[in-house]
Amino acid sequence: MKNLFLGKRRAGWGRLARQTLIIPLLLVLAALPGLPADTPASGYDSLRLFTEALYEISQKYVYPKSDEEMLNGSLRGIMNSLDPDSSFLSPKEYQHLVQGQNEKSAEAGVELIIKDNLLTVVSVLDGGPAAAAGLKPGDHVLKIDGQLIRNLTTQEAIQKFRGAPGASLKLQVMRNGALKPMDIIVTLQPLAPGTVTSQLVGDSFAYVRLRYFNDDTPRELDKTLKSLEKRSPPLRGLILDLRNNARGSMEQAVRSTSVLLGDKEIVSARGRGPGNQETFRGKERDLALKIPVPTVVLIDQGTARAAEIAAGAMRDQYQATLLGAKTLGLCGLTKILPLQDGSALVMTVAQCYTPGGQKIQGKGLEPEVQGQTPKDKDKAPAAVAPPKGPTPEQDPWVLQAVELLKSGKKGQIARKATEPKL
Amino acid sequence: MLRKSWLLGSAVLLLGLILGGALALQAADQSGPEGAFPAPSLPLASPAASAKLKVFAQALALIEDQYAEPKTTKDLVYGAIQGAVGTLDPHSSFMTPEEFKELQIETKGKFSGIGIEITLKDQVLTVVSPIEGTPAYQMGLQAGDQIVKINGTATKNISLTEAVKMIRGAKGSKVTLTINREGFPQPKDFVITREIIPIHSVKARIMDGGLGYIRLSNFQDQTDTDLQNFLRKMKQRLTPFKGLILDLRNDPGGLLEQAVRVSDEFLKSGLIVYTEGRSKQQTMRFYARSGLADGKFASIPMVVLINEGSASASEIVAGALKDQKRALIVGTKSFGKGSVQTIIPLEDGSALRLTTALYYTPSGITINEKGIVPDVVVDEKPPAPDKSLQNLRDEAMDRHMRKEGLTDKAWNQPITTAELDRDPQLKKAVELLNHWPPKSLAQQKPVAAQ
Repeated sequence: MKNLFLGKRRAGWGRLARQTLIIPLLLVLAALPGLPADTPASGYDSLRLFTEALYEISQKYVYPKSDEEMLNGSLRGIMNSLDPDSSFLSPKEYQHLVQGQNEKSAEAGVELIIKDNLLTVVSVLDGGPAAAAGLKPGDHVLKIDGQLIRNLTTQEAIQKFRGAPGASLKLQVMRNGALKPMDIIVTLQPLAPGTVTSQLVGDSFAYVRLRYFNDDTPRELDKTLKSLEKRSPPLRGLILDLRNNARGSMEQAVRSTSVLLGDKEIVSARGRGPGNQETFRGKERDLALKIPVPTVVLIDQGTARAAEIAAGAMRDQYQATLLGAKTLGLCGLTKILPLQDGSALVMTVAQCYTPGGQKIQGKGLEPEVQGQTPKDKDKAPAAVAPPKGPTPEQDPWVLQAVELLKSGKKGQIARKATEPKL
Repeated sequence: MLRKSWLLGSAVLLLGLILGGALALQAADQSGPEGAFPAPSLPLASPAASAKLKVFAQALALIEDQYAEPKTTKDLVYGAIQGAVGTLDPHSSFMTPEEFKELQIETKGKFSGIGIEITLKDQVLTVVSPIEGTPAYQMGLQAGDQIVKINGTATKNISLTEAVKMIRGAKGSKVTLTINREGFPQPKDFVITREIIPIHSVKARIMDGGLGYIRLSNFQDQTDTDLQNFLRKMKQRLTPFKGLILDLRNDPGGLLEQAVRVSDEFLKSGLIVYTEGRSKQQTMRFYARSGLADGKFASIPMVVLINEGSASASEIVAGALKDQKRALIVGTKSFGKGSVQTIIPLEDGSALRLTTALYYTPSGITINEKGIVPDVVVDEKPPAPDKSLQNLRDEAMDRHMRKEGLTDKAWNQPITTAELDRDPQLKKAVELLNHWPPKSLAQQKPVAAQ
């Protein structure tokens, strides 16, 4: 009897404790503009769930945890749950960003995201330190310098792969299909200049590789295309390789694609506020090639952000054929929004749509022609076509693209590609 | 009234500990602090925390206002709880209502369905095996059958999770599977009535020479009962019953209570395990009961097999039997998970899996990160170096479909020499039991450890 009474009283304390959390939270919320979109009642129910969870942790977790630490974790968790480009920045991280301290002179040369709570390699820059060390797109990084990766934001992950030249990182990496994780040591180096390379395949097809996008890419691409145009015999086709390319801003993508498209729509960014709707066009004077050349764009799981914008625009505005594998589907416009205590949110405020109106974020772009996978079925699709090892002449997807351009009828080739090879 | 859910185990889990039996899914209020009733700490009362709370609210409002697509408060709160739990140890987690339901199925050892294991074989939804005695078995489904449609919906590109969801359903309801089988001129419909299907965590075989082999795949509500049944059947069949091998390899754990019960089957008395947490209520000691009716197995020669996949509840059993010198432990070092999780249901059907205590073997050793070290170290047969994980999984699945796995055969079918040759750890266990008691453990160790 006594126990029962005490039991109820305990329950009462629990409720009281939770009320002390929920009431300030609701008051604070009410004072801010933009309350939850769902009906206030269900929004408050959800917040009660949050306070209930924090209360249980504070009471029962095997080690004591401060409320502040858990609230910080919650903010990171919310931003991580939105999309891989959204992150929470602590006051210190935000300061570093504002003061330009994040601009380190050396890096690993890799693009990473947090996907399903795993730190995942999206792309490895051609010729960069990570590529030299053997890191591959699709790899999961489990540990950095012996420390288990947990609850990291994408922004924190990026910082971990930058530093002083010569500094090294010891990574424990799990590769798809491998039995055990492997250790990979990456020595940070400044990136070699140049984002565009090109060469001829056969005598009349040009292979142009974009390692990644930066401010120099439009000029480099312009120079490359103009020199190719002068060749004789004239170009019969262009292969633009955007595989394993996940670095670049929307602006860099627009300026680079403008070199190929001129005055055409390249991408539109659509968000929810009127300030977050914008259509981006190229400029007539940027156009490098006077006569359009039949083009195949190579894409894969490591094609993201700027490269997805370029691939989508080339498909919709230049009748280019996308060949390879589905792209990542990570393409948005992020803004940095400071919070009142000096921390900040990196938040996706708009998403990319191709000129044809297709949303890229989340879904990615499907290839019109599937890249042929090598016979070895055990290789993960992302690792099928590393643009580093083989020269373009040995690269099965480049050869497939050449065939496609030679035939001039992509429909036929597309059908052929899906038939079993004998 | 002390009711709670406890959980041990990375993949699986939890259970009603003191009262045993059903999952105690009472409101979390009922498992509040016990004993002296200290004044509860009021969370978030500190100035730092309340400032942080304002920041939290501001962030929610900004997302509401400016994020690229609308999000419900619930989505955000799930993300927030994930993030809060992410600051804890790796065994604490947040489960959505669907994940929590799946956990309950694993823990209770039964669900409502038709009784087939399925897989995606070359991207086609395929029956791995119908479980004997279930509706699927009675209706004649066979290993290798391709499921082309479920209730008229094509299964092309379906995920396993979706397929499972569609095939499961309330007891008494019907599901139609369109089956393609070699020899069928065209796919054929099977209408199957769903029933409660038990999931067995215990499998057994016997061996020539009076030895028994029992494998636990996890620790759920029915584990100890199923174990007792096999022990009883073996005792009748094997005369004399000269030795037992308990295989806990790749057993990720499960219910604490079941780990205690399983250990108790083989112990006359003494401490099995104890736990320590932040509150008195999380600090408990579990002893073997001397008066147990089935105590007849407290002295049979016994070997326990473990490997790095043996975790949690498995480590409690191996640790208790090792510390009490009741069994010889053979294999490789175990996983090393020495913490107890309690399942705390939240009001919308989701739940927290929270680490609430650490546990210790009778000799006071924590298993956390250390694992149980075998008395006799024997490595597993190394896989062929050119095989990928997918190769190995496919091969294991094919063996299972052909019913060639060690535990795919009837329990009373003796293990063959060929089967032993494929499994050096099991072979060593048999050798030890055939020359019981081991002459000198001390001398064997260095040799075996090479």
